[in-house]
Amino acid sequence: MSAHAEAHHGPPIAHQSSRVNASVLGMLLFIASEIMLFGAFFTAYFFVRVVNGIPWPPAPFELPVFVAGINTAILVTSSFTMHWALQSIKRGNRAGLQGGLLLTFLMGLVFLLTQAREYSRVGFAPHDGAFGTIFYCLTGLHGAHVFVGLSILLFMTIRAFRGHFSPENHHGVEIGGIYWHFVDVMWIVVYSTVYLI
Amino acid sequence: MTSVVAAEHQPYAAHEGLPPPPGGWRRLLYPGFLRAAWMAPLFFGIGCGIVVLCRWWGGWHPIWFGEIIVLVGALIAAPIGFLAGVGVFDYWVRYAIGAPTVPEDHTGHGAYSWRDYFRVNTDHKVIGMQYLVTTVVFFLIAGLLAMLVRAELAKPGMQFFDNQTYNGLFSVHASLMIFLFVIPAFAGLANFVVPLMLGAPDMAFPRLNALSYWLLPIAGIMMVSSFLVPGGAFASGWTGYAPLSVHQPMGTIFFNMGVQWAGASSIMTALNFLVTIITMRAPGMTFWRMPLLVWANFTTSLLVVIATPFIAGSQFFVMFDRVMHTHFFDIAGGGYPLGYQHIFWFYSHPAVYIMMLPGFGIASEVISTFSRKPIFGYRLMALSLMAILVLGFSVWAHHMFVSGMAPWLRVPMMVTTLLIAIPTGIKVFSWLATMWEGKIHFNTPMLWAAGFVSMFVIGGLSGIYLGAVPIDIHVSDTYFVVAHIHYVLFGGSLFTIFAGIYYWFPKMTGRMYNETLGKLHFWLTFVGFNATFFPMHLIGTQGMPRRVSDYDPMFAHWNMFISVASFFLGASTIVFLYNMITSMRRGEPAPGNPWRSLTLEWQVTSPPPRFNFDEIPQVVGSPYEYGVPGARHAVLNGDRTAEEVPVH
Amino acid sequence: MRRGSIVQLIVIGVLAGAIASAFALIPNWLPEPASKEAGRIDFVFWFVTGICIFVFSIVAAVSVFAVWKFRAKPDDDSDGAPIHGHTGLEIAWTAVPTLLVTSIAVVSAIVLAKDDAQGANPLRVEVTAQQFFWSYRYPESGNKESDVLRLPVNRSIVLHLTSKDVIHSFWVPEFRQKQDIVPGIHPTLHITPTKVGTYPVICTELCGLGHALMRSRAIVMTDDAFQKWAAQKGGA
Repeated sequence: MSAHAEAHHGPPIAHQSSRVNASVLGMLLFIASEIMLFGAFFTAYFFVRVVNGIPWPPAPFELPVFVAGINTAILVTSSFTMHWALQSIKRGNRAGLQGGLLLTFLMGLVFLLTQAREYSRVGFAPHDGAFGTIFYCLTGLHGAHVFVGLSILLFMTIRAFRGHFSPENHHGVEIGGIYWHFVDVMWIVVYSTVYLI
Repeated sequence: MTSVVAAEHQPYAAHEGLPPPPGGWRRLLYPGFLRAAWMAPLFFGIGCGIVVLCRWWGGWHPIWFGEIIVLVGALIAAPIGFLAGVGVFDYWVRYAIGAPTVPEDHTGHGAYSWRDYFRVNTDHKVIGMQYLVTTVVFFLIAGLLAMLVRAELAKPGMQFFDNQTYNGLFSVHASLMIFLFVIPAFAGLANFVVPLMLGAPDMAFPRLNALSYWLLPIAGIMMVSSFLVPGGAFASGWTGYAPLSVHQPMGTIFFNMGVQWAGASSIMTALNFLVTIITMRAPGMTFWRMPLLVWANFTTSLLVVIATPFIAGSQFFVMFDRVMHTHFFDIAGGGYPLGYQHIFWFYSHPAVYIMMLPGFGIASEVISTFSRKPIFGYRLMALSLMAILVLGFSVWAHHMFVSGMAPWLRVPMMVTTLLIAIPTGIKVFSWLATMWEGKIHFNTPMLWAAGFVSMFVIGGLSGIYLGAVPIDIHVSDTYFVVAHIHYVLFGGSLFTIFAGIYYWFPKMTGRMYNETLGKLHFWLTFVGFNATFFPMHLIGTQGMPRRVSDYDPMFAHWNMFISVASFFLGASTIVFLYNMITSMRRGEPAPGNPWRSLTLEWQVTSPPPRFNFDEIPQVVGSPYEYGVPGARHAVLNGDRTAEEVPVH
Repeated sequence: MRRGSIVQLIVIGVLAGAIASAFALIPNWLPEPASKEAGRIDFVFWFVTGICIFVFSIVAAVSVFAVWKFRAKPDDDSDGAPIHGHTGLEIAWTAVPTLLVTSIAVVSAIVLAKDDAQGANPLRVEVTAQQFFWSYRYPESGNKESDVLRLPVNRSIVLHLTSKDVIHSFWVPEFRQKQDIVPGIHPTLHITPTKVGTYPVICTELCGLGHALMRSRAIVMTDDAFQKWAAQKGGA
């Protein structure tokens, strides 16, 4: 085994110069960047809706505020199940972790499918004026984030069922969870600006 | 165990490394270019399949639509396939599906032969070299494009190109220089140097670091290959103003997507730097003991993380307007064309600091070392970086003084723009004061740094003209602006990149460059640069607009002069290339610390050991204590000599 | 510092200032001004130039002196004086530039306000830009159209600009005034020509294939000549 030990002679252990965990910090910075991406899309929204002052929604079109409201409730609930999953693994409750992740994943999936169904029934397309453009691009950008979030959840769920994560080692769940909460909060912003106001 | 010690100190000698690739057909599954060669087409096919399926399901005709196929298949799916093929994602895929992984797996770390520079490598030093060589290649391509532009402009009238090609030439020139040279070249230098300066064994996320490098050639090849698509390269300038860019030939989407790949690369690197600087500093390395290069990359990275998503947004909007017929910038549909400029410049103004602050850092290191004096006003230097960071976000509309935006925005934006001259001025004065009463050694890096300070002063002063709205009204979009950006980006960024390359060349390669050729390179470039760009101020104020293939014959003499000077300037690069290539192969072996510098990267061997340090150093003081008796920056290896260091 | 050094420093500064002034004064930097706005803009230009020559001279003096006097001998391995900073000096080079840029901002803001104000009884001209030509319409003269911009001398002109396709930019170097024309936005531009003559109208915003050739002329005429032209039917 000496050859093996030699091959894996690793680097010196880096000095940890901050109390923040590197991966958590990385995720937070990534989210800062994501918020700015949403910021660019909201700037476009601002120019079209406030500066140009187009009617919202323009006459024949209607926004499915109620269905989207139910969808919002589903997504917000999924944040709580995500939190439950994380708290479970911190206490060593593997079944809670698996159940929480599975529920979160399913709710996210329902949200995304409802959104897709809404697209096909809403009665306008991205090329139907600036209103359609902004509606589809903001909800679509968010939908893309839900898709990424779902992928992360899927991986976490697979790992949870394959026996990974423990009370000592749950950064994988925590970091994915931060992203999922971000996706939820962002949806509340998108829902209120696009559908409600 | 002594053999291990020796191996650790000769990291580039024949040694372990990755297991040899398997033979036979299994080779196709081994990460590398062979696997990329079949995975990229496979993903292209998957991309096409998704497009066709979606269009069939949505009932759109034609089902096979060229532009969307190119966009999804060639510009999005195929690059992902390529990345998967070379093996950037291997670890993450294994991790995601819950397969066994070794988090501290260092088999992909370090280089033992030149081949190791052509695979996915997690060593920040190798990635730094990969960055630098790649960016220099794109620098040469972009430089050749500039020569072609100057050839066309040597005489009034049309000589060599049609208008579309000409517009493509300067657009690709600028885009490559900005997105594939200046920004990533600084990222490359910092990649090599910052972890060493911090006393860290590597970056915080080495695999992410590898990914951010491999995105870069994709972006570059995308932009260059746009010359080959029907209709020619993107031709609406690097600024790509809508609505013109929406109605250009297909090359535009190559720019839109190229910017996304390059931008993603920038954001990942920046995130990596920030986490590394915050969490991996050596014990004793407080923020106020960090070298200014680290400070500069810290502020730059903050700018990148916060600002870059805005250019991503602006390019998405243009692309959607083209391929999905949305109405972001189409007035008939209720869009707002001026919005493009606001969103674009909200990134692209901070981007000029992204292209300048790391250069400030390099200049600070070089000037302090070669003047043998501490940095004058270290804290104010760091604080002025932060001031530039904050002010940098409040000046974007100074690119839009004549755009027809709300008139009340002009005076506040002028005030913030002029205010930014103050922290910048502080830096210039501090460099001069650092040189004052020093013992200045004019080695090549110092020549470039001093040249940078003088050229940057001229670029900064012409910036004052552009900041004052009434003058800007006259000179905006003229050659005066072209002169200004080249004084700050060529005389500023490029000079500091050269300073950095010469300064760290011994550290990177373990060999010294040729000093005479280095000095010759500097003087040729310095003369050629001024002869090329200074007269542009004059023809600009006299009335020559920028981005034109033809001009008033009254400017013929100056343009001929500028073109000849620019060819001279271009030729000076040959000296640089010759020096780099011959010195890398046959240069004198470099000692660990040829410049007697105090920062940490010079306290290890040249090139540094595979994991930078045997033990994490203990930092005990400022990195610039030249001339202070008994002062030290750091204690390495418990202050014992290398022979005494126990292995474990 | 010895007195000799200070003298040397001042001599270098004066020399640098003289060279910079020569660069500023000998070539013809700005085209002959032909509008009131041009006069004001030129004033800002020379005001800034004065400040820049001042700053340049100081920087040049210090850097040339440093390069000349503090160059190390090849075998001199000693370090320089360990000076870490000087609070007074640092405050000075923060405060003085602040004053200078503030003065530039104030002068610029005043000139901007004056240039944006329209004079009494302005002549309205509607300017239309499209790929790749300019056209002009005179609502006061029965919507007379022209492909050359004809203007009476010494009268306040207000241009109403419109673009039909992409962004263009209207510029007459001799008037110094410039305005981008973004589709959907209808900016105005104020000009008071002061000199009879013919000047180029240039598009300065990249607008596609024919951008370089998107030129027209501005002809400033005496008031009588302009009235006569305006009364004619047709004719450019």
